[in-house]
Amino acid sequence: MSLLELQSELKKFNQASKLTGAVQDVDRLIEVLVSAREEVAAANDPHSTSLTLTKLQNPVSAQLDAINTDLGRVHKSQNAFYKSFARAFKDRGTLPTDHDPMGSQTALINRAIAMHLLREGQFGVATTFIKEAQPSSQTTSQPSSQSQPQTPSITISRPDTPPDAMITDAAIPSDLMAFQSQALQEKFAAMYSTLTALKRRDLYPAIQWARENSKELEARGSNLEFELCKLQFIWLFKGPFFNGLPATMENGVPGALRYARENFASFQQRHLREIQRLCCAMVYSQNLADSPYRTLFDITLAFDEVASSFTREFCSLLGLSAESPLYVAATAGALALPNLVKWTGINKAKNTEWTTQNELAFETPLPKSMLYHSIFVCPVSRGQTTDANPPVILPCGHVLAKESLQKLAKGSRYKCPYCPSEGVVKDAKEIIL
Amino acid sequence: MGDLESSKIDHENHLLLDQPLISLPIELLRKNLRSARFEVEKDGSYVKETLKRTATESVSGRISPPDVIKTLDSMIARMRGVKRKLTAFSDEEKRLHQHEEARVKHLAELYDMYSIDDVKYEGWSRTRLDRLLTDYMLRQGYIDSARALAERRQMELLVDVDTFEQMNRIRQCILNGSVQEALTWCTAGDTKKELRKMDSNLEFMLRYQQYIEIVRNRSRINPGEALAHARKHLYPYISTYNKEVMHACGLLAMLPEHADRVEAYRELYSPARWQKLADLFTETHNSLLSLPSIPLLHIALSSGLSALKTPACHSIHPNSAAAPSHHTSLSLAASVCPICSTELNELARNVPHALHSKSHVEPELRLLPNGRVYGLARLEEYAKKAGLSEDKIKDLRTGEVYGADELKKVFIS
Repeated sequence: MSLLELQSELKKFNQASKLTGAVQDVDRLIEVLVSAREEVAAANDPHSTSLTLTKLQNPVSAQLDAINTDLGRVHKSQNAFYKSFARAFKDRGTLPTDHDPMGSQTALINRAIAMHLLREGQFGVATTFIKEAQPSSQTTSQPSSQSQPQTPSITISRPDTPPDAMITDAAIPSDLMAFQSQALQEKFAAMYSTLTALKRRDLYPAIQWARENSKELEARGSNLEFELCKLQFIWLFKGPFFNGLPATMENGVPGALRYARENFASFQQRHLREIQRLCCAMVYSQNLADSPYRTLFDITLAFDEVASSFTREFCSLLGLSAESPLYVAATAGALALPNLVKWTGINKAKNTEWTTQNELAFETPLPKSMLYHSIFVCPVSRGQTTDANPPVILPCGHVLAKESLQKLAKGSRYKCPYCPSEGVVKDAKEIIL
Repeated sequence: MGDLESSKIDHENHLLLDQPLISLPIELLRKNLRSARFEVEKDGSYVKETLKRTATESVSGRISPPDVIKTLDSMIARMRGVKRKLTAFSDEEKRLHQHEEARVKHLAELYDMYSIDDVKYEGWSRTRLDRLLTDYMLRQGYIDSARALAERRQMELLVDVDTFEQMNRIRQCILNGSVQEALTWCTAGDTKKELRKMDSNLEFMLRYQQYIEIVRNRSRINPGEALAHARKHLYPYISTYNKEVMHACGLLAMLPEHADRVEAYRELYSPARWQKLADLFTETHNSLLSLPSIPLLHIALSSGLSALKTPACHSIHPNSAAAPSHHTSLSLAASVCPICSTELNELARNVPHALHSKSHVEPELRLLPNGRVYGLARLEEYAKKAGLSEDKIKDLRTGEVYGADELKKVFIS
């Protein structure tokens, strides 16, 4: 039975008897009692009083029975629905609650949540959360760190630092909120206002940001700055009818040309060909749609693309992934959970803790979009390579895990398991995938 | 093909985390009905008994009509009380039905999606994350945050702020050194019966703590108080809680200031007991409502962090990232892996990494003289974007420039 069947059961359940029936019957009982009371009060005579009371007994107990019958009906429909629910989730296994590797990590989880809320632009919720999650015992040590604004712990890469140095977790104190949420909040607020401007087709704030960070962007191999300027050029080129900007010399083909003169110079070395194409298109400005430059000037998706590219670069320069890691992790968690549940179900008897191993004992297939690193599984040992057991390349170009090669080798010599070539172990070279 | 397989949504199994979402309103409905029955039973039998007795007395002339009216008035008052309570239960029932309906509807939406690449799925999954976050906040007692998030995301019907708020209020009372609220909870309506059914020791432990506090503050005014309390609330359970009752007796002879010498008594006087008591209450409360003992977010995270984690995520080498195939040309540099990202990196340190039985690398790998390996397409693209001449390539991570002829083919079998 699936959830969809439960949905139709729920319909029945919603239409079934509810407590309102019992309330009505209580009302009737009250009426019976009230009218008896009136009778007694009106008669004010012991004989008729006892008669009234005697006559009252049957209706009262009948009414009480009615109430109980009402409740019984509710009980019955609840039970029926409960059973459908149990059937809908039957044999699904139980959630692995015995070992909780997250149990002792409240501070880190809180930090992840706070950063998630900030990056999602939920600044109000984030503020409330940070206030509530602030461990009261730490408030005493807090003021000193707050009174003097420190540099944000999330280090922004300098032009001279290689991109590798951006992920600076160690630099972030693990005590919860000392991670300078204020600085982070400002950063994300800036990101959101730039994105809002992009939605309005206003590229200037994004261009401004890209220009300020052009060195870092270049080091990342990102063309964002040029892409933004190019889009601005095309945007102007299309003219007032298209972009809705005032029809001045700043707009249309002349405006675009002027923009190109002022801004494209610095891109000439890297993007000469594309700039040439953009400028050649001027010739066709009257009938662009029929020109060879048609595709170049099709910008239906361009704004969305630069917006997502901007978000990614912005987060990357903060050492953060573009998608919320918490979102990716929770989604991956739901995808991987069936296998985890199955495994813990089977191994429950052995009381094996899945959390204490280095590597999961079962596969958790995720879609390719959730694979972020190259994964190398040694074809000989069938294990993944690690820092301690890195991949090595043989002169013939085949790759093995270091330990596998050591096992294969006879003395200092080896024979490649995948081709006829032989060699000496020391010629094998560690590689970084 | 393989990817199609792994991005397909297995609806039934995908809802493992969401079982409590559906079950809580049902549990609360059942509890609600039990409480309603309890009230009807209690006052119904009062009315029935009183009527019977009054009628008998009236027949035998032992009660005057004005007194009969008084009795009838009390019966009417009782039933009006029942009506008031039942109306409240009925409102609660209505609310819970709305909750259940919204929840089943929300989960059923998943059945219209077939791939996790579906945009609709992303929206759904975001709501799930927000639900998990709210559940976590509620369990941590961050009620205002939970309320704000639920309101902001308009998912009040999908979360249980009220239930947890009440739970947290009582928990907080325990942490502040008061057992009264928790005792009231234990004995309200039919909870007592339910607790007995599940062999809960909560009420006994609360009474026990109450006793310890009486002994601690041994009053000169009422020296018999401790004994009376023990007789009434502890001694009857001696067969079940033999050790505790014995300790309780011994405690009488042990002043707090001397208890340090004896481990068992020091433990009894310890303020840490309140924390344990609060945890016991939470645990009992949650299992009474068939709620998982740990926040669902913990389960999702432990499962997800492991599934995403690779040996590279905590490697001493600056890690290289594969460029997932779906990236557009604008994004040559791969995005940061969620496990490597600041938010989760430390958190993921102590979970196992995922098991892979197949390599997953870019096509056409090339080795650079510095030992780093990249896909040829990405190297060429990067060189082009960096404005290098065609016979040069540049390391995507370190920025070192090499001649294209220095590249070496890499074979991954």
